[in-house]
Amino acid sequence: MSHLTHQPAARFSQMRRAQARQRWRMLAMLGAVLLAGVMLTLTLGQSFTPLTTVLRILGGAEVPGAGFTVRELRLPRTVISVLTGACFGLGGIAFQTMLRNPLASPDIIGISTGASTGAVFAIVVLSMSGPAVSVVAIVAGLGVALLIYVLSWRQGVTGGRLILIGIGLAAMLQSVTTYLLMRAPSWTLQEALRWITGSVNGAQLDQALPLLIALLLFGGLLLSRSRDLETLRLGDDIAAGLGIRLATTRIIIVTSAVALVAFATAVSGPIAFVAFLSGPIASRLTGRNGSLLIPSALVGALLVLLGDYAGQFLLPARYPVGIVTGVLGAPYLVYLIIRDNKSRGTL
Amino acid sequence: MSASSLLAQSLVAGYGERTILNDVSLTVQAGKTTAIVGANACGKSTLLRVLSRLLTPEQGEVLLDGNAIHRLPTRRLAQQLGFLPQSPIAPEGISVLELVSRGRHPHQGLFKRWSAADEAAVADALSATHMTDLAECAVDELSGGQRQRVWIAMALAQQTDVLLLDEPTTFLDINHQIEVLDLLTDLNQTRGTTIVMVLHELNLAARYADRLVAMAGGNVYAVGEPEDVFTEQMVRDVFGLESRVIDDPVTGKPMMIPLGRHGRAHTAEGI
Repeated sequence: MSHLTHQPAARFSQMRRAQARQRWRMLAMLGAVLLAGVMLTLTLGQSFTPLTTVLRILGGAEVPGAGFTVRELRLPRTVISVLTGACFGLGGIAFQTMLRNPLASPDIIGISTGASTGAVFAIVVLSMSGPAVSVVAIVAGLGVALLIYVLSWRQGVTGGRLILIGIGLAAMLQSVTTYLLMRAPSWTLQEALRWITGSVNGAQLDQALPLLIALLLFGGLLLSRSRDLETLRLGDDIAAGLGIRLATTRIIIVTSAVALVAFATAVSGPIAFVAFLSGPIASRLTGRNGSLLIPSALVGALLVLLGDYAGQFLLPARYPVGIVTGVLGAPYLVYLIIRDNKSRGTL
Repeated sequence: MSASSLLAQSLVAGYGERTILNDVSLTVQAGKTTAIVGANACGKSTLLRVLSRLLTPEQGEVLLDGNAIHRLPTRRLAQQLGFLPQSPIAPEGISVLELVSRGRHPHQGLFKRWSAADEAAVADALSATHMTDLAECAVDELSGGQRQRVWIAMALAQQTDVLLLDEPTTFLDINHQIEVLDLLTDLNQTRGTTIVMVLHELNLAARYADRLVAMAGGNVYAVGEPEDVFTEQMVRDVFGLESRVIDDPVTGKPMMIPLGRHGRAHTAEGI
């Protein structure tokens, strides 16, 4: 039999290689666009700073006039945008893939909102700051994830029920956030908006390190599970039949995804729809054969970076990034709900 | 590939408070095709889920070649026993090749790369299911019968000695039902794979299975060769249906003709 099947096997290997090449090309392209975006946001703002000058400044040189703009205003914003975007993108696609539904993104089902509420609670009520806020945000995010799971449990969890319960919880948590913000009268509108729609205004470079560590640690954990995640797309029963330990795998994926989203939310607030949009966009770009984790992280980073840039410089007034991504995401949400009613969509 | 035997011992299982299987024992013979039949909610799918370890029994255990499957490492079990649930849904846009390749999951370690053996297993599975030419197509663009063949190809790529299938012919046209059952029979005959499947259609079960398991009310009503199990009495007790069981003129296997209220009147007149 083997001589008969030899030829198709060679053909399949070739197909796989072609597919892998295609994937790498797309990843390289996304990476290049992201790099271009980073250069754009570092060089061009209210004023233009040539790239060579930017590089000299980043290298530590003192350039009068431009030094402050690049190092203090642009760089933190760019770095934080890329990191939070990547975290949201990864957290989003992990949830969407695991639950086989693009609506099951952490920013739709209340996990980002929960992390945000936790962060506001930590700041307003507990007077915390710094890493402690992130910890409370993560605990709150995990708590919400657990609560959704428990509430939607009825002899197993189905995606639809989980999503509806999550949407309900998100609305409740949103009002808690708003209430807490109103109780703290000293807050500026800018800062309040961060916790409602998300913003990278006032980003600080010292917020980047914990975010980077979270991204490497939990992103790495997700990547190490990427094959399991791909197999989970076939359904729980099939995945279990193929030797995946469902409970363990789910716990690792949920914890990593929630941690990524919560770390990012603690810095930037729940930037609207980035987690929700990144995966589907990445899927359109790279096709649906193969893991979407890295493409989604890149798309997420791009969305926040360019969304924030647009909000700052391309629109008539200055808007926080969450407003821009919100405007992008809302129509897609409506489209998905309409489509989902017609045919059960999986990602 | 040697044939593997599966043994269920005094299984009690269900969902939450609801007990569905009451003390079910069953020997699945190695290298044979076994069909589980019974009325809706008689516990046949539940039995299959326990046999495939998707459901942990409250009491009793399932032995695969003498080892309790609930104590086997998940991956090792998946190398020996495959399971195909009822009408699985393929992710949007996934290609036939990609989906069938998933069947190699239990044979791949965390860092193990795709090997020539993996590729050969996938090529074999696609050729056995006549899907080689459609390898590049998206699964959701195929017909129902082709789609079911893709899932079976995935299970074949898993290269297990035992294959459990929950209603592999549901929602298929009769020609596709026959196609799928023929394919499973080929598999059983050429590779010696032990096959256990839940089937709705009694006549097809009797025709394609070496052994029938008739279930009623969460218990095994009868087990054995179709000729012994498939009787008018069994159809009455298991399905609550009056019928006439005759020999299939083509294969000589038992075949059932239901006597509905109208059918019976007509028969009575005719005879």
